[in-house]
Amino acid sequence: MLKVLIPTIMLFPTIWLTSPKWLWTTTTAHSLLIASISLMWLKWTSEAGWTSSNTYLATDPLSTPLLVLTCWLLPLMILASQNHINPEPINRQRSYITLLASLQTFLIMAFGATEIIMFYIMFEATLIPTLIIITRWGNQAERLNAGTYFLFYTLAGSLPLLVALLLLQQSTGTLSMLVLQYSQPLQLNSWGHMIWWAGCLIAFLVKMPLYGVHLWLPKAHVEAPVAGSMVLAAVLLKLGGYGMMRMMIMLDPLSKELAYPFIILALWGIIMTGSICLRQTDLKSLIAYSSVSHMGLVAAGILIQTPWGFSGAIILMIAHGLVSSALFCLANTAYERTHSRTMMLARGLQMIFPLTAMWWFTANLANLALPPLPNLMGELMIITTLFNWSPWTILLTGLGTLITAGYSLYMFLMTQRGPTPNHIMGLQPFHTREHLLMALHLIPVILLVAKPELMWGWCY
Amino acid sequence: MASRLSRIWPTLSRVRLSAALGSRCVSQTPKSSASGAAVATDLQPVSPAAQDSHGHAEVSPFEKNPDFHGFHHHDSFVDEWNMKLAFFFGISVAIVIGGTFIHYLPDHGMRHWARREAERLIKQRESEGLPLMTENFYDPSTIVLPSSGEE
Repeated sequence: MLKVLIPTIMLFPTIWLTSPKWLWTTTTAHSLLIASISLMWLKWTSEAGWTSSNTYLATDPLSTPLLVLTCWLLPLMILASQNHINPEPINRQRSYITLLASLQTFLIMAFGATEIIMFYIMFEATLIPTLIIITRWGNQAERLNAGTYFLFYTLAGSLPLLVALLLLQQSTGTLSMLVLQYSQPLQLNSWGHMIWWAGCLIAFLVKMPLYGVHLWLPKAHVEAPVAGSMVLAAVLLKLGGYGMMRMMIMLDPLSKELAYPFIILALWGIIMTGSICLRQTDLKSLIAYSSVSHMGLVAAGILIQTPWGFSGAIILMIAHGLVSSALFCLANTAYERTHSRTMMLARGLQMIFPLTAMWWFTANLANLALPPLPNLMGELMIITTLFNWSPWTILLTGLGTLITAGYSLYMFLMTQRGPTPNHIMGLQPFHTREHLLMALHLIPVILLVAKPELMWGWCY
Repeated sequence: MASRLSRIWPTLSRVRLSAALGSRCVSQTPKSSASGAAVATDLQPVSPAAQDSHGHAEVSPFEKNPDFHGFHHHDSFVDEWNMKLAFFFGISVAIVIGGTFIHYLPDHGMRHWARREAERLIKQRESEGLPLMTENFYDPSTIVLPSSGEE
């Protein structure tokens, strides 16, 4: 664990002591090396339990894929931001990369935490760099509103979580995940206990986000600069899913009845947000709502609490993280050239950027869950386990899959096909950097087809 | 009806567009980049700072450096080396070497071992005539239940 955490902390001296000419080169190389080292976490020395442990941090089959995803994402964020941050004064560039690196540190410690309070502190700590990135480097005036929504939605959900965790500490005497998984089931039979149950989960449901409390997400994703959107979509949403999976162990047997409304909300959210996607004119907003839709499926899978549900949730989280981030990068390439997110203004791009059209195509195919990509595998596992729980859910999930295919196709056709607008005169050709960025996003998704057991978690 | 409409529509649309765009219909002149930018920014006004900072409005970096890779606008040496290092560490190290490492991980999650162990146990139990698996995981005599009188 430390062999990744210490290099990540050493990113800070790297950022501030490198000469301005080589800042982006060295940070990219450094973070890619960290990402390569993080692959060593995938070597599990035991079959089900915790590995790579020290007193405070450990990895287990649930957190390892998410940790590798986090470490992989930092170099991608740096690559994506290079173009639009480069013209700023050097100290501001350094501050920006510092924020990304600090997010990385907090996220590694959050996913690796063995004590739930540490996870909570890191969960909250990730809010601050993200808030700064959104409100300082966002491009429109709405970024302030977006930051407010983002911060206060998450905080409003997580204050009950803090109280719930302290109550748990009082009653069980420990909050270490290593110990809690073996503790006796709690006696949960009063109204107070039900409120405690809700308190444990609300923070993560807001973060996922669940459909009713999802309003912060489109704002935050749209107003954030590309690195902010990437890290939000790829990793921060998964913090919610990961937290839920950790807490579920202790929340039985209340979850059997109490999860009902949340499962229904999640499933309904898939359809509603999918339908909203079909009506979007703003490209980033479309991708943001598609994230809500996919995460609704993940939330439903986790709340079902079966092995297939958990496995499907992890697989879908990893696959969606990479693909959603790829889509945001593509949207940013269009934004950097036309300074507009309106899809109609940057249409027919296949004619002028044919190679990029391949990236758009692959990313959209992955988004609509094309076999054999892991997006489909995760979705199928969740849909199957939901069907096992109640056959009626197939109506909602099937319709959701249909709508997902619909809006992914819509996104592809709107941006790539059709007549190139007359007002587009000179757009820069696609940079090598942007092609590399897309390759580094989509090659892991394709490689995961070959070895999906990396993502299956400990339930399978 | 539809065929008639399809014959009239191109002229109709052109008339409407030219009326709306006015002189901008003559859009082949290089000056139109300014009006093109104005059309793009009608919905999303771009601050002058952003335009200047990206340099797109002025000159494309490909003119000064035809081998521009997208990494550094003014220095082609840094741009080229950034590209080389990003590709090396990203593809050669992370994906190729990392992928090879992952591929050769021994029995990830002990799944192959579990399969072999199960087959071995089945063969052993069948040869001894034992049932493949007992119904009770724990020996029932060791479980102490509270008497039905208590809560």
